[in-house]
Amino acid sequence: MRELIVAYQRRVAGFVYAITGRSDSIEDLAQMVFVKMARAINRLKAPEQFESWLFRLARNTCIDHLRRQKLRRIFTPFAPEHENVPEPDGAVDSEELDALRHALEQLRPKDRALLALVQEGRSHAEIAEICKTSVAAVKARLHRAREELRQHYQSDED
Amino acid sequence: MKTEPQAWLRLQEHASAQISPGFADRVLRAVRGEESPLIVAHFGMAIVTAALCLFAVLLFQARTSPDSAANLAGWKEIAAQASDFDQGL
Repeated sequence: MRELIVAYQRRVAGFVYAITGRSDSIEDLAQMVFVKMARAINRLKAPEQFESWLFRLARNTCIDHLRRQKLRRIFTPFAPEHENVPEPDGAVDSEELDALRHALEQLRPKDRALLALVQEGRSHAEIAEICKTSVAAVKARLHRAREELRQHYQSDED
Repeated sequence: MKTEPQAWLRLQEHASAQISPGFADRVLRAVRGEESPLIVAHFGMAIVTAALCLFAVLLFQARTSPDSAANLAGWKEIAAQASDFDQGL
């Protein structure tokens, strides 16, 4: 189990960051993903689908986290100055990463997850299964998400 | 010229740098920590419930047994009086 966590921790961290955009929640969320993995791995029927299954866990954990955060804000709203607090100084030390992060922020969480799954090398069929939708829908949403990302990324660079 | 694939690479590097050493061990500890208190809680609850039931039964018995003995003695007396009365007739 330990080897499995070590082997995937970097990829899961990148995946979590692409969806949440917050450096300070990477480790907590990655830990939640691996705890879920450890508890449910015995129920995985097809070991060859492990990666796809792991990234589904990671996607759902991040989406749930963002949803809970949004819900919490409804009941305990933050003051305007506390909403969307930027990452602390030095958290992001690269301009291009900053541009990508800002571009990703403009997208819906589900679209960010879609792009992150592609970055992880998941096929359209796998993504369709993970997102519980059709391959055609994945292709259409992916095309739209890529276009949006490109627009925001370019405008950030200008 | 900055390119998007490079940025994704940077994102991956930045994110993995946020994972502090000993992460896997912490995850495993968290998994064990989640499992063991759960088992202890289940067993603990069962033991406490059984003990409470036993205590309630013993308490009920202790409270009612003197009354039962007194009632029985009373009935024995009545039965003896009735028997004497029958013989007298």
